[in-house]
Amino acid sequence: MESQKQKTLQSKIKVSGVALLPFTLALTIFLWYLIVWVGDLQPFILPTPHLVWERFVRALADGSLWQHFLYTLWEVLAGLVLGSLVATATGYLLAKSRPLERLLSPYIVASQSVPVVAIAPLLVIWFGPGMFSKVLTCALIVFFPILINTVVGIRSVPEDLYGLMRSLQANRSQVFWLLEMPAALPVLLGGLRIGATLAVIGAVVGEFVGSDRGLGFLINVGRGQYDIALVFVAVFTLVFMALVLYGVVVFLERWLLSWQRRDEDSKKLGV
Amino acid sequence: MKYRWILVSLLTIVLLLAACASGEQPQNTPTGGDADVLEPELTPVHLPLGYIPNVQFAPLYVAVAKGYFAEAGFDVTFDYRAETDGVALVGQGELPFSVASGEQVLLARAQGVPVVYVLAWFHDFPVGIAAKTDSGIETPQDLVGKKIGLPGLFGASYIGLRAFLSANGLSESDVVIDSIGYNQVEALSADQEDAVVVYVTNEPIQLEALGYPVVVFPVGDSMQLTANGLISSETMIAENPDAVRAFVQAFLHGIADTIADPEEAYQISYDFVENLDQADKDIQMQVLEKSIELWTADVPGYSEPQAWENMLQVLMEMELLTKPLPVEEAFTNQFVE
Repeated sequence: MESQKQKTLQSKIKVSGVALLPFTLALTIFLWYLIVWVGDLQPFILPTPHLVWERFVRALADGSLWQHFLYTLWEVLAGLVLGSLVATATGYLLAKSRPLERLLSPYIVASQSVPVVAIAPLLVIWFGPGMFSKVLTCALIVFFPILINTVVGIRSVPEDLYGLMRSLQANRSQVFWLLEMPAALPVLLGGLRIGATLAVIGAVVGEFVGSDRGLGFLINVGRGQYDIALVFVAVFTLVFMALVLYGVVVFLERWLLSWQRRDEDSKKLGV
Repeated sequence: MKYRWILVSLLTIVLLLAACASGEQPQNTPTGGDADVLEPELTPVHLPLGYIPNVQFAPLYVAVAKGYFAEAGFDVTFDYRAETDGVALVGQGELPFSVASGEQVLLARAQGVPVVYVLAWFHDFPVGIAAKTDSGIETPQDLVGKKIGLPGLFGASYIGLRAFLSANGLSESDVVIDSIGYNQVEALSADQEDAVVVYVTNEPIQLEALGYPVVVFPVGDSMQLTANGLISSETMIAENPDAVRAFVQAFLHGIADTIADPEEAYQISYDFVENLDQADKDIQMQVLEKSIELWTADVPGYSEPQAWENMLQVLMEMELLTKPLPVEEAFTNQFVE
């Protein structure tokens, strides 16, 4: 009975949240117009929402927005995959070996205090001005959160389950695939969720430093030509990209962890 | 109850924003508005320079240190924000002056930014194409098929390159252009690029100092283009022409003194450029002397109308401007004559 009440309350909150979305959007647009009007701001300082919309339609119609969007998306996806693979492998090794963790952790933590914006120009010098230097910038930015989550995820596997696997005479590969991977997956995917949004920032930083394509380049072009509406178009497109990537990871999380929810439901039903 | 609080909070935010916006009045006049009540001696002016503190800004440092701006009624402080930000703020009326390049004035005016170029500081476009002397590149035609690195496909470097190629009968498809960020020195010295687009007052001197002699093709030798100068707004010029004239004349005074005595200008720059006393003086003096070459003119501060026409043509060819602008509205020589 109590659980039913809770469910009804949760669904009510969910519905009111969805209903509030158009309201908050309308309020944001209203405030935006108000700021432009009260401040008497010219379009080269802050364009109105409808100017941004017009610019968006124009950039979409001439194909330039789509072309730059795709370029940045490739960089982000490649960087995310590369960063995630290296971070997961390194994280696993650190989680399994305390001496290795003690040896490498200070360097890994210290490396996080180096701003990516300072490293990005060096990557362009070392690896050339092409896409690879931007992919590396993305990979560097997603590396740390995924690494930390991998270590936490692997370490969170209960010791008695290892004992159970040993008693079943499971080999190393079986322990990894049947125990460690499923147990660490929720935390690992949490890291990927953060990484997906950070990768977008990485790509833009790389493109700011030196690129002739991508949404970061489009921002530079917009600023250089006093076309601030174009800057907003590029920024909103980046936000859209980050949200879609985040959504994909959330979807992936739900799909991969559906067994966990089934388990929880079974426990609640006392099965 | 909770919703009432949200409503009150939103209302407070709106009111605060309105108060902030109406509180910031443009500072267009040296003695305007409240000035009569407060009677300040000097009008504070933040002058955006568009680059980091550098010995190339010596004329402005000299004008401050020797009191030329103070005599003209201004208390000048420098602001090293991006060039485009300075242009936009002048256009909005938030700042009275900024340092900007000629192409920025045309690009800004095309977007409705009412800025006007009032003093030509550099009389030659400061961009050039540099290659190692042992690269075999001896003429502009030798660049065909070569890799040319530049910060990006925007700004003065890109415009300078396009003007240079066009003036020498070449097009962008004759060369390979790489966007390498501000890494020209590293890219050329490491042979990642066959040539790089540089500021003739800066990177070639650094490359020579590192032991890489270079051949430089200044864009100004191929085509006369309007370069860096002082801008103001149409409103400021219409309402306070005397203030604009006073500021321009103080700036010109600083340029003249720097050309007359570079050593003194260099010493003055110590107070404005962090760590200049630690820098290699030979290199920094070369930067200053090379800059002086570009500032020297028969009539200091005078804008050549042909340089504006040329710049307009280049921007049209590059499709950065889609329709012609009346260039005569983009600059004025009334304050330097």
